[in-house]
Amino acid sequence: MHLDNHPELLDRLAASYALGTLRGPARRRLESYARQSAVVRTRMLLWQERLGTMTELVMPLAPSHNVWKRIEIALDQEMQMQRLASMAQSRESLLQTNVSQIAQLAKWLNRWRMGALAGALATVAAVGVGWQAYHNLDTQVAVLAQQISASQQTRVVAVLSDDKAQTAMLVSFNAANNSLILQRAGAYQEAADKSLQLWALPASGAPQSLGVLGSASVINLKASAEQLSNVPTLAISLEPKGGVPSSTGPTGPVLFKGAVLPVQL
Amino acid sequence: MNDPILDVRLIALIDRVAQRDAAALRQLYDATSSKLYAVAMRVVGNTEHAEDVLQDAYLNIWRIAADYRASLSPPMAWLGVVVRSRALDFLRKRKAERALGGIEMDDYMADTLGSDSPGPMDTSIASEQAWALHECLRKIEAKPREVLTMAYFRDLSHGELATQLRLPLGTVKTWIRRSLEQLRSCMGQFA
Repeated sequence: MHLDNHPELLDRLAASYALGTLRGPARRRLESYARQSAVVRTRMLLWQERLGTMTELVMPLAPSHNVWKRIEIALDQEMQMQRLASMAQSRESLLQTNVSQIAQLAKWLNRWRMGALAGALATVAAVGVGWQAYHNLDTQVAVLAQQISASQQTRVVAVLSDDKAQTAMLVSFNAANNSLILQRAGAYQEAADKSLQLWALPASGAPQSLGVLGSASVINLKASAEQLSNVPTLAISLEPKGGVPSSTGPTGPVLFKGAVLPVQL
Repeated sequence: MNDPILDVRLIALIDRVAQRDAAALRQLYDATSSKLYAVAMRVVGNTEHAEDVLQDAYLNIWRIAADYRASLSPPMAWLGVVVRSRALDFLRKRKAERALGGIEMDDYMADTLGSDSPGPMDTSIASEQAWALHECLRKIEAKPREVLTMAYFRDLSHGELATQLRLPLGTVKTWIRRSLEQLRSCMGQFA
């Protein structure tokens, strides 16, 4: 039947569709007509628009002040997460820069040491000056190295994605206090009777549990650098509430996984 | 009725939100939250849940504000639809969690259906389209109108409406059919 030729019936169906009371096979049939006919589609969109304005007619009602505060906190977290994600992307180039900086400095230092040695052969006074400068340079290198390592104490080590390649979790590692920080990046929230569990998947051997995640959007887990070394991949599985022992290995589906980024821990 | 200055202001704010301007989100919240909170309440029927939905909805608006212009809708209608769809997602999730634990009639339903006076509507910021809908809804009897609007806000089938409102299925079907017919012929005059 061509609904295009039955405007009255089409209008009735489109209205029930937009209202939501057209169900089951009748609903699917109308959807498939819509894909074939712009007339059907237009009528359906018209009714969706018309009923959509029903939301404008509700009597206003003030929400509690807490709502904005909660939005603000969540927004902060989200913006922080975006910064982390862009940091993760530029991480590798940053590391390259630092490595070449150190190499340059080391070269310079070596040349200086040679110079200092030559100076030592000349006069005792010259040796004194040379040694002092030599020590200054060493201090500078130490300070620079410390700055670099401080700026990298918390680093994104993995970006975990779901099976549709949507980013779901950012994992960073803080070497200063041996903690893993997980930030939820997608809309996924496990059911109340389930827990997410983080696993290290070593190049060879069985997965090792790195801990069970709480339901908060930012989660801290204790972990040492050793636990993350030689681990090319991290994964998160859905487990019964409270997780499973590490020796059992994951029992539920693996929801998210991702490669550990090639950074030094 | 429709306030074009408010619309222009809201559109400018949504544009700024799309540019990642957090201050604009705050202003948008101040201008629209009482309306959108009421929408969330209509769908989920409970203060605590409506607040969760509202928080979620504004964060979603933050993420999808750039899509607004392509929708070609009046700003309040677009925002309202965003909130309704987040609220419906929330209900679906809860329904799945509670499986078949029986759904309670909430405060909103008990209040509106217990009385014979029609639920009040607010046209202070209604777009032209919303104004037309208001004029047509006004002509429908109180209870069938409530059932019709509830069907829309909560995306309920005839059977679900009958169960939740404790009304005979036949009554629900008749009310919906009649009020939708009235609405169709009335809206036809505006189009």
